[in-house]
Amino acid sequence: MNKLDKINRLLQKIKAKEGDSFTYNEETILAEYKHNDDNKSTTTIKILSVLGGILATLAFVGFLFLTRIFRSEVSMLVLGIVFVIAAIWVNKIYDKLIIDTASIALYIVGFLMIIFGIAEITDSKNFTVLVGLVIALVSLFSTQSYMLLFISVLALSGSLLSFIWLNEKPNAIHLYIVFQTLLLTIIFLNEAKIITFNKKFSRLYKPLRIGIMISFLVGLIATSKRGMIELSDNFFWISVIAISIGILYLIPKILGKLAIVETNSKIMIYVLILLLLGFSSGSPAILGGILIVLLSFYVNFRIGLVIGVASLIYFVSQYYYDLSFTLLTKSILLFGSGMLFIILYLFINKKLVTDDEV
Amino acid sequence: MENINNNDIHIISRHSNWSTTSVDDVLHSKIYSKKADWTHFLKLLFISLGVAFTTAGIIFFFAYNWNDLHKFIKLGLIGSLIIGLTLFVAFSKNSQTIKNVILTGVTMLVGVLFAVFGQIYQTGANAYDFFLGWTMAVALWVFISNFSAMWLVFMVLANITLVLYEKQVAHDWSPLTLLLLLILLNTVFLIGNFILSKKDKQYVWLQKIVAIAIVTLATFGVVVIIFDVDLAYNWPLLLVTIVLYIIGRFYAFNTKDTFYIAIIALSIIVILVALFLKVFDFDSGVLLLASLLVIAFVTVVVKYLMKLQKNWDNE
Repeated sequence: MNKLDKINRLLQKIKAKEGDSFTYNEETILAEYKHNDDNKSTTTIKILSVLGGILATLAFVGFLFLTRIFRSEVSMLVLGIVFVIAAIWVNKIYDKLIIDTASIALYIVGFLMIIFGIAEITDSKNFTVLVGLVIALVSLFSTQSYMLLFISVLALSGSLLSFIWLNEKPNAIHLYIVFQTLLLTIIFLNEAKIITFNKKFSRLYKPLRIGIMISFLVGLIATSKRGMIELSDNFFWISVIAISIGILYLIPKILGKLAIVETNSKIMIYVLILLLLGFSSGSPAILGGILIVLLSFYVNFRIGLVIGVASLIYFVSQYYYDLSFTLLTKSILLFGSGMLFIILYLFINKKLVTDDEV
Repeated sequence: MENINNNDIHIISRHSNWSTTSVDDVLHSKIYSKKADWTHFLKLLFISLGVAFTTAGIIFFFAYNWNDLHKFIKLGLIGSLIIGLTLFVAFSKNSQTIKNVILTGVTMLVGVLFAVFGQIYQTGANAYDFFLGWTMAVALWVFISNFSAMWLVFMVLANITLVLYEKQVAHDWSPLTLLLLLILLNTVFLIGNFILSKKDKQYVWLQKIVAIAIVTLATFGVVVIIFDVDLAYNWPLLLVTIVLYIIGRFYAFNTKDTFYIAIIALSIIVILVALFLKVFDFDSGVLLLASLLVIAFVTVVVKYLMKLQKNWDNE
């Protein structure tokens, strides 16, 4: 079999590099390849499962509203717990792709029922949020399913956002963004460390990466549109500085990839980048979009790149649309940034081509 | 380790004592973007951003409608920009992609020219004929350059023209006529693009976006008809949807792409559930059944797609 040969060749090559200390469990490796082969998932299938799960959830929530179950907190709570456990348990004993839709629907419905039930019983918003946080955390450590891990990450971030929202401290969104920026940068740049740490972390890596990226994006969207939530202008610098640090931390790594070593080029690049950051300092969302694009391209993460570019286009348009300058000032700002980008393009064109030719 | 992929690294590292530094080395040398990728990416990124921002700057400048600027200067400025940039695109030795990006910027400037013309001579800025003129004026460039971003601009312009025509002129159209025409218009684009692109990878994302748009419109139309029996005379919409889905299914098999089957299947599921709810009314038990039906249908489709993908992979 072709595939078997390939795996064996890979293992031999790694062994040759690593030396005799390299040991592996051939049986489990082959088993995992076989499992992946039988349950080969594509992005299309993943999205279809999620959409199906959401559709089924909507119909089920409609059902709950029309029955008396919704009026009884205790039955909501009990049913919710049963559903969440069932979702995780079904995935554990029957780890097949085809049950994804069912377990996604079960999990989301169960999660919502527990939250509604708790909210009715306690009247304490923060306790309800805490329960959501705990369920998400517990699920994160008790399932191996890509989809449930992904949803748990979103539920975790959702709980944090609800905490900010329900306590009417909207400006705390900047702390959330700082936290997500940190997580995002660490996760993207430490793939090797995380996946070799242990099996749990290794399985968590991919759903965590996309989940945190979307959570970060949600935070950015909240800051992007004026008037969507009441945010004071006095705190935007917190997000701006955090994301700028993330970008500046990434730049030397990218310059390393581009093999740029001369000090003059480096100084020029940093001046241009600082100018660019300055131009965008009014909008953490634009900076965040740039961070997502750069990180995704750095680790060659396609879906991330597509999401990053799309959100960047949206954030830039929204920013200039909301900007309360005259059209003439806007025009000069846009024209100036456009020229800056063209200079950057010409610079790269000249610099990197000559480097290749030498 | 010529063709190791990210998945291989994850699986092998999971079941071995592969050291962190070696995994890091392999990731950097085999998976992550390298110098050539970065150079290509940054060039494309900066020229696209440069053209987009500069064009936006020009648009805002003319939108400001500076009264002290004589109309000849206004029109002359945009006109010479368009001519200059087009000549540059036609005769410069830059890469095709860079030239296409610039031509896309020029396409937007043609809109600015028409808008400023309309502003000066009071021809009305929102009228459908403004967009119609713009669409027709750039059509030739779209066919010649055959560049995906140009196609997107062109399709958006044509769709806006049609929607505005319905709003401003065609007051006697029945409610679903616009929907049907939008479906047909975008289908013509999609088929035209399939033929012109000859399976060029550049267009895959564009074709998928257009396909999603068509299927969404068709699903919406059919669901509206289901819930409003008075609209049952709209059989052409139903017929077009059926024909399109059959063609889509064959196209998917032809190109071995499960995407088209997935969106068509999802649309059919939504339609079936709508039909189910219409027949049995929104009763609590019916909603519970609907929820279970969705899960069952989607599961069957996922299983089918997996089998299909596996067969295609093994061929």
